[in-house]
Amino acid sequence: MLEGLTAVRPALIATFTWGLVSGVAMVKSGLTESAAAMMTLLVYAGSAQLTSLPLIATGAPLWLIFAAGCIVNLRFVIFSAALAPYFQGLKWYKRLAYGFFTTDMSFVLFMPRFGDAKTRGTPEQRWFFLGTIAPGWIVWQASSMLGIVLGSIVPTSWSLEFAAVLALMAITIPLANSRPMLVSMMFTGVAAWLSQGLPLRLGLLVSVIVGIVSGIWAERRYRKRR
Amino acid sequence: MNDHDFYVYSAIGLLAVCTLLTRTTFMLFGHRMPLSEEVRRALRYAPAAALTAIIVPELLPWRAQSGGAVVDERLLAALVAIWLFHKTRNSLVMIAGGMVFFWILRAALQYI
Repeated sequence: MLEGLTAVRPALIATFTWGLVSGVAMVKSGLTESAAAMMTLLVYAGSAQLTSLPLIATGAPLWLIFAAGCIVNLRFVIFSAALAPYFQGLKWYKRLAYGFFTTDMSFVLFMPRFGDAKTRGTPEQRWFFLGTIAPGWIVWQASSMLGIVLGSIVPTSWSLEFAAVLALMAITIPLANSRPMLVSMMFTGVAAWLSQGLPLRLGLLVSVIVGIVSGIWAERRYRKRR
Repeated sequence: MNDHDFYVYSAIGLLAVCTLLTRTTFMLFGHRMPLSEEVRRALRYAPAAALTAIIVPELLPWRAQSGGAVVDERLLAALVAIWLFHKTRNSLVMIAGGMVFFWILRAALQYI
């Protein structure tokens, strides 16, 4: 567990910043302090929270908020598919807990270290994982609560909610790590700009479909050329 | 509880379900459903697309009713933020720098 704690330490500064920005953004986009606190505790997914805020502020339909949250969270499906073998054999409620508290950071730290391990599911591996998720949760919750308090003190004229858009950009830009991904994001961007007049913010779903299709199309094209 | 509160709390509840579904389904039932390579590939593009689709209208909104603002400080500040991230690879610098530039631009535009 100590190794996990040591490995996660440098990442906690980033976690703290995200939590703070999310906390401020929730209050600044019109959530009451108690709703914001509830969201942090129950949802515990920064990018899904930040994504839903502009939708909630414009009164988008609930099913679309649900869909958008799930799409942003889809990466966790891949993460948990890769992590699941390490936790098989545990009681279901333990697997549920490990799953719920999984973060991007813990996955990124865990896989390079144990990805090629001969035996999967040793107590050492689970303790390491726990060492990365526990401090992440504590720092996230503390900084979010601090952000919620700050958000209700700071005047609206500072436009701190813009920090949420910047925070989303800081998650999105590193994702453009391959040419097909870049092509996909460019097509998505154009689609999102063109379709923003659609009712119920349906442009979001249209853009995601454009993004997936253009990404796979670009992948095939680049592979043929090689 | 008024209508708006009910709407907000329903959204929070549904998002909590999103977290549970995406993070725990494979932990609980993974051994029963292997993911095909095509599905994995398609899943990779979806989150980046959703994030892009949220950000673009925030930075480049249509402004028909206000007569169409030509210079928008949000877009310019975002471009500066991207440049800062490219230089430093640090999201903290990006957010703080983007905010400061946004405030400076907005203050400057008031005097034009």
